[in-house]
Amino acid sequence: LARTILIVDDHPSFRASARRMLEGAGYSVVGEAADGGEALRAARELEPEVILLDVRLPDLDGFAVARRITGRPGAPAVILTSSREVNEWGGAVADAGALGFISKADLSGRALEELLA
Amino acid sequence: VIGLRRALWLIAAGGLVVLAVQIWLIASSDYALDKGLWVALDIVIGGGFVGVGLFAWYRRPDNRVGELMVATGFAWFLSTLGLVEPALLFTLGLLLGNLYVAPAIHLLLAFPAGRLASRFDRWLVGITYATVTIGFLPFVFTVDPEASGHCTNCPENLFLIETNHGFATTSLDLLSTAGVVILLAVLGRLIGRWRHATPPMRRIITPVFLSGAALMAMLAVLLAASVVGFEISSTFYYLTLIPFGLVPYLFLASLAQARMLRGGAVGELVAKIGGTIAPGELRNALARALNDPSLDLAYWLPDSECHVDPQGSRINLADFASGRATSPVTLDGERVAVLVHDPLLLDEPELIEAVGAAAALALGKERLDAELRAKVGELRESRARLLSIELAERGRLERDLHDGAQQRLVSLALDLRLAQSAVFEDPEQAQRLLEGAGEELEQALAELRELARGIHPAVLTDRGIDPAVESLANRAPMPVEVVEKLGERVPKPIELAAYFVVSEALTNVAKYAHASRALIRVGRENGRLVVEVADDGIGGADPSRGTGLRGLEDRVLALGGRLDVTSPVGTGTKVIARIPCE
Repeated sequence: LARTILIVDDHPSFRASARRMLEGAGYSVVGEAADGGEALRAARELEPEVILLDVRLPDLDGFAVARRITGRPGAPAVILTSSREVNEWGGAVADAGALGFISKADLSGRALEELLA
Repeated sequence: VIGLRRALWLIAAGGLVVLAVQIWLIASSDYALDKGLWVALDIVIGGGFVGVGLFAWYRRPDNRVGELMVATGFAWFLSTLGLVEPALLFTLGLLLGNLYVAPAIHLLLAFPAGRLASRFDRWLVGITYATVTIGFLPFVFTVDPEASGHCTNCPENLFLIETNHGFATTSLDLLSTAGVVILLAVLGRLIGRWRHATPPMRRIITPVFLSGAALMAMLAVLLAASVVGFEISSTFYYLTLIPFGLVPYLFLASLAQARMLRGGAVGELVAKIGGTIAPGELRNALARALNDPSLDLAYWLPDSECHVDPQGSRINLADFASGRATSPVTLDGERVAVLVHDPLLLDEPELIEAVGAAAALALGKERLDAELRAKVGELRESRARLLSIELAERGRLERDLHDGAQQRLVSLALDLRLAQSAVFEDPEQAQRLLEGAGEELEQALAELRELARGIHPAVLTDRGIDPAVESLANRAPMPVEVVEKLGERVPKPIELAAYFVVSEALTNVAKYAHASRALIRVGRENGRLVVEVADDGIGGADPSRGTGLRGLEDRVLALGGRLDVTSPVGTGTKVIARIPCE
């Protein structure tokens, strides 16, 4: 059974490319969100297993969104992403309760699998 | 129309005639007592008021103090008519014998400006005039001066209608009571005004107010005593005339003293300025010379067309001087500074003029200091603004890069990777992905080009201001004509500032002006590069709002230039930058 995933990013071109990439890798993309508020709503309603979450969003930043979603039993796995490298964010990724970080240019089904395994 | 001088001479001659006739009338009176004393009082009091009043009138025709003194003097002559033989004059004296009190009170309340300052004062003076004129009619209609013990062997009261001793006494008592109230009210006003006066004001009013207050108090005692029937000796009445009679002489003395003080103060000022004077001391020296501790200096900077304080901070003169008066100081016909002082000093224009003339050169020197401080302050502020603009600009660049080209390149990387994996299994899908990637790449390149031009246009570096401005004109969304070109290269920072002026101005024209076209001029004028962008739009642009124009102004200011924006509503906007460029 395909894993369900929610894509959160304010750039439609990235969302489209990521959807193509993840669907090609066998994921079921159940939704997209363009900002933090929309992401929180979609996470509640769609109950995805995984959330691919951009760090820089127009309202809340990705860390704040991650902190609100994770930490509960049965919460989805949050993978943060950004066009920057992971070391630019320091320990913020782990502090937000995210499972891991993938730089946008490195996104692939395999990279995701490695983190989720 | 006769001239003022002639009119005053006529009044003086009239006064002398009245005085001479009066002296003759008193001397030939059968019943008058203390003849010598009254003649002396006529000369000293009546003559004093008229004489000094004429002098004051001549000196300051626009100040009514002189007129009021002359009026008080003539009114005084009426009061001694009560001693003369002709019945008509005697009757007039009976009716108007106390008239002199009204112009005297008017004079005191209007001193030194010559105007009554408040509605209350005007009421008070009006009531006083009424009391000492028509107020006495009931008394004059009913009193028999001989029978009532007013005088013995005196002439007949021609206005007598029916003798009624009780009525006459009562009406006199009522008048006296009203008089006490009026006198105390005037006394209160004098004390109040003295307490609220500024130091230079006090210097002027103190002697006159002191004698005026003494007069009011003594007359009030006199009248109160007559109402309650308390016998007061006539000596006390004569004593009240001392402060009254002193008024013109005290006025004259304070004029002379002011003149002496002024001469001394200006002399001291000249001596002080002749030597070296520490910064800030000039104001104090001027404040001393004018005897006005509230004095402030403002300097006029012709280049910036504004006033600054001695620290070099820009001021709005109207706000700065609110409630005070301003007198400009000129040097070689040019405005150098403005003295901001107590409005009272306007009564001494010669003093202001003398002090201004004595200090003009020193003020000119201090103005240079203030100008320098203003320039330094302006530069410091504009440098800070430039820095924050620089920071904001970096932030904007980072955001533009992140949201634009970087996102496109990220998508491109993902799509290329997808195409790579699809190239054998699904060549059609790979084809579509590669097509999309090509478009994305085009977009990313276009965005990068635009961004680079915003940071520093290559055409400007390579070929100078004229082609760069031409390319801005060509890219603008409305017709733009470059009507004047520079035709030469100038230092790079100046080229860059000029370029940004045109670029920002054209952006504003496109965004806000609703213009059908715009004109650009780039030229040289008196060693300065002049850049002008004019449109035919709706106008009404406010350079103090909107960070764009402000940022431009800072760029231009940093190069020692200035930016002017004229934008009357309905007739388009003109942005002109002038940058020194030798």
